[in-house]
Amino acid sequence: MFATKRLQKELIKLNEKLPPGITLVKADDLKEWLMDIQVMDDNPIYKDETYRLKFTFSGNYPIEAPEVVFTPVQTPSRPIPLHPHIYSNGIICLDMLAREGWSPVHNVESVCVSLQSMLTSNTKRERPEGDDKFVKYNTRRPKDINFVFHDNGV
Amino acid sequence: MPPGNEYAAEQLKNQGNAHFKDGDYGTAETFYSQAIQKNSKNPLLFTNRANARLKLEKWEGVIDDCIRSIELMKENMKAFFYLAQAQLAINHPNEALSSALMAYELCTNSSQQTSNAATISALVLKAKKAKWEIRERDRIRRRADLLSELEAKLEEDYKKDVHEIEDRIASGSVGTIEGQEEKADRKKEYDDKINDLRTAFALSDPENLKLREVPDYLVDGITFEIMHDPVVTRNGRSYERATLIEHLKRSPTDPLTRETLTIGDLRPNMALREACTEFMERNSGWVYDCVDGEVDGDTRWAHLSCT
Repeated sequence: MFATKRLQKELIKLNEKLPPGITLVKADDLKEWLMDIQVMDDNPIYKDETYRLKFTFSGNYPIEAPEVVFTPVQTPSRPIPLHPHIYSNGIICLDMLAREGWSPVHNVESVCVSLQSMLTSNTKRERPEGDDKFVKYNTRRPKDINFVFHDNGV
Repeated sequence: MPPGNEYAAEQLKNQGNAHFKDGDYGTAETFYSQAIQKNSKNPLLFTNRANARLKLEKWEGVIDDCIRSIELMKENMKAFFYLAQAQLAINHPNEALSSALMAYELCTNSSQQTSNAATISALVLKAKKAKWEIRERDRIRRRADLLSELEAKLEEDYKKDVHEIEDRIASGSVGTIEGQEEKADRKKEYDDKINDLRTAFALSDPENLKLREVPDYLVDGITFEIMHDPVVTRNGRSYERATLIEHLKRSPTDPLTRETLTIGDLRPNMALREACTEFMERNSGWVYDCVDGEVDGDTRWAHLSCT
């Protein structure tokens, strides 16, 4: 209902101007968009790398959060960033993207900016606890997973 | 007319009609022409040939046939209808509009021909649109001419002043640095004038309004649409009532601060509502003015119509 018009407007804005390190890769329809993000400072974990994000919108966006995951690409190289809240299959554990943490005033750009700062502020070269098991057995959609947001320090 | 010619003309017309039906418009035109040679007093032969020529895009021929047909029969809806199409095709929208209006009038006045009304009224709108487009194109061209003339005048003055300053530097009546400063001042003055002139032209151009964006303070932060019924939250932010309620049903929190917020906490923002209404009225008024009272189908403005 709201989604179409709102996404059209977001797209116009994204085509006009984007913050540094954020690029619109593909937005052919109003269901799935691809964005590239880079970390703008010298954090050695992410320096010189670019990561691809996949946004999937429901018809209730922005009342409902979009589904946002990192998605790997071979060429050009788009790995999954190493981070204690990012699983190796690209699923992100961020309260802003979860059911309770989402607010309809967020948008594609603000999600990208939040993810940039989530990476920038990280110092640990590690995956979340139980990454192997999660990646192997998880069949749920990212939004339906009840992550426990315990260490907000990261 | 020799006896039998009327009958021969009828036969030729029927052959023409058969070819027309098959889509062989060239042959149909030939048969109609032969029929007209046999009987030049039947207005239907001319309208039939006009229709074939319309398909063949022989616009001048269409116009001739229609005029002759109308001479033979005044209340001739078909002839006016074909005439309007040909006039539109050769870019004479004024004539096309009056022909189409004539066809429309004849059509609505006659009981058996009302089924054509929709087709003809579509043609009337098309002619109106063509007329508006030509007027608009001329207007833009005129404005552009005037603007470039004024810009040229400003530039001329500026160059003259710069020359004068350079002459004074050369003759030693003013120092080099002082002269350069004077030139820089003059340049700034000139740039400012050009900018002001362009802004004034842009502002006075109704076309310019098309590109005008709804200011952010009238836009709901959830739908990104102009608001119709803004409500204010406890932290002073305003949202469109319907969409904010949609959010509160799901999560009773302020979208920005995450503090608890319930539907009962919301208050209408009257002043902002006035501002939104005023903006909508001003802009949709422009939309309707510029297209001769036609409804503007432009989807960019669909959100401005109050629902």
